[in-house]
Amino acid sequence: MSKMKKIINSYKVYSLAKYIFSLVAVALIGSFLIMFQGESPKEALTYLIDGAFGSIRCIGNTLRWITPCIFTGMAASVAFKSGVMNLGIEGQIYFGAYAAALVGFYVTFPRFLHIPICIIIAGFAGMAFALIPALLKLYFNINEMIVTLMLNYIAVLLTEYFTYIVMGISAAGDSLALATPPISDTAKLKILVPKTNASTGFIIAVALVFVVWFIYRNTKVGYELKQVGANRRFAKIGGVNVTKTFLSIFLISGFIAGVCGSVEVQGTYGKFTAGFSNNLGWDGIMIAMIANNNPFSVLLVAFIWGILKAGALHMERMCDVNRLTVLLIQALFVLFVTVDYKKLLEIFRKKGGKV
Amino acid sequence: MVELFFGTVTIAAAIRLAVPLVLSSVGGCFGDRAGIFNIALESFMLCAAFFATLGTYCTANPYFGIICGILAGLTCALLFGIFVFHFGSSGMVVSIAMNLGMDAFTSFLLLTIFGKRGSFMDERLVSIPDINIPIISELPYIGEVLNGQNIMVYLTIVLAVAAWLLMYKMPFGLRVRSVGMNEKAAQTAGINILKYKWYSVLLTGLFCGLAGAILPLGGTSIFTENMTAGRGFLAVAAIMIAGGNPIKAAIVGFMFAYAEVIAASMQNFGIPSQIVLSFPYFITIFVLLISAVCTKIRKKVVKI
Repeated sequence: MSKMKKIINSYKVYSLAKYIFSLVAVALIGSFLIMFQGESPKEALTYLIDGAFGSIRCIGNTLRWITPCIFTGMAASVAFKSGVMNLGIEGQIYFGAYAAALVGFYVTFPRFLHIPICIIIAGFAGMAFALIPALLKLYFNINEMIVTLMLNYIAVLLTEYFTYIVMGISAAGDSLALATPPISDTAKLKILVPKTNASTGFIIAVALVFVVWFIYRNTKVGYELKQVGANRRFAKIGGVNVTKTFLSIFLISGFIAGVCGSVEVQGTYGKFTAGFSNNLGWDGIMIAMIANNNPFSVLLVAFIWGILKAGALHMERMCDVNRLTVLLIQALFVLFVTVDYKKLLEIFRKKGGKV
Repeated sequence: MVELFFGTVTIAAAIRLAVPLVLSSVGGCFGDRAGIFNIALESFMLCAAFFATLGTYCTANPYFGIICGILAGLTCALLFGIFVFHFGSSGMVVSIAMNLGMDAFTSFLLLTIFGKRGSFMDERLVSIPDINIPIISELPYIGEVLNGQNIMVYLTIVLAVAAWLLMYKMPFGLRVRSVGMNEKAAQTAGINILKYKWYSVLLTGLFCGLAGAILPLGGTSIFTENMTAGRGFLAVAAIMIAGGNPIKAAIVGFMFAYAEVIAASMQNFGIPSQIVLSFPYFITIFVLLISAVCTKIRKKVVKI
């Protein structure tokens, strides 16, 4: 028993050390990049934090950015945990958002019905879009990664085209300001912090994290889902219907992504704008990778991501450091965190021994 | 209609457009055959495209730009290789991080070096000149299609054939394939697995560097943010369809470019631009489906 504890402890220490090392490495590279642009890193960081927490409005804005990060992070981690490589979260967000915007605009319901109906239909839209790669994988064994990557591009273009149809304009204008009509007030989510876009979507997102955590920890279904990801053959022998699980995981992931799209529309934009997402889906994938698919870690990393996103805008406005620096740092962090440092240490030790 | 599908203008445009796709697909075959999971071709190409632009801008010489592009592609491959082979990261994670990181990195450099966002154009940014070959130009149909292209078109054809020879007719290719097929067996046969994996990744980087360099220098003389626009992913799809055979991958890559040209000319018939732009991606999924169905049928036949 004590040995077991020791192993778990050493694992914890190891992963903590890993995160700290990555953070330091990324901070060093980040400061170098900021200095490359002729600014002091300390000042840039101050602006970034100021932009994220400087006032109540800033905090509201940060919450607004945390919300989609949690959703997409969960969508990705649910899929990755069971070994489903759903890289099409971006596309599923688009379809979810589009469905939510349509339902919000065309249909009228009382408020307490309209919001959930919008969200659920958006979820189903995301799910339907996730069904294509799932079926292709199950029946034809086509790599789901390639299909989802292709579907991302298709989703962006198709929703743009559908928006044209809704708007009733012939396909000739510029696509910059292309959007559906605004959704009715009954479909809009309640705003948490006045004068900002922080909506009750944040509460839904946090609730989702707890629900997923509970399912993984306390139910049989959750155990099966984890097992399929950990060892597919073992799960199969243990009597899990792997095909069914694969399909349902893909659909759940698509559903969460669709809900993310609807929250973006109902909580922030109030309409569907073509090409609005700007890599939210990829953010989620990075978050899930850093968090190692653990629901609470996803929550934590999504917070950091939201702070970075909200702060970066302020930073760009206040000094010469541009937002792309933050994007670059995020990608580097993913690269460093997922390195197998134990293997690396072993290589160094071996080399030392040889000398 | 025949003019639209087989006219010299269409085919010539498809050949020109196919160069980056074909090169990256051919290069990616080596990585694929060595059993390396790599969907970072997109980032290799994008990085190469930027540094090719930079090199050309500095010297006003497109050939120097191409060398810069190749070096950039090799550097990306080096980064990928270090993380995947020595640092124990998974190929997928490194690929995704590199794809996103390179997108940000090139835009970042575009802003800090040239002070531009979106796209960059300059009179110093010269494309590779088109060349005339007297013998080819006299042939009736081929002359109009193949003549007056830039030198990269001819180089691509040569490289695709060379890659096929390297893969199937030389010991090097045999070893790469054996590493991908069964690592342990390859090791038992005395092959240094790591060495051949490194060679394959670097070859991929080389080809992708060349492919990326063509994007800004192949006639448009412009660098835009994220200008690869999924070509790297299309290349991965082409490799999958071709099963890692360079010649087949080149043909599939050409078909994608051809579909793109056809779709673009469809725009004249009133088909909306969004549908036209999404055409290559639809085609990719469709072709993947067809090839999967074919394999399924073939397997069934073998069983009987």
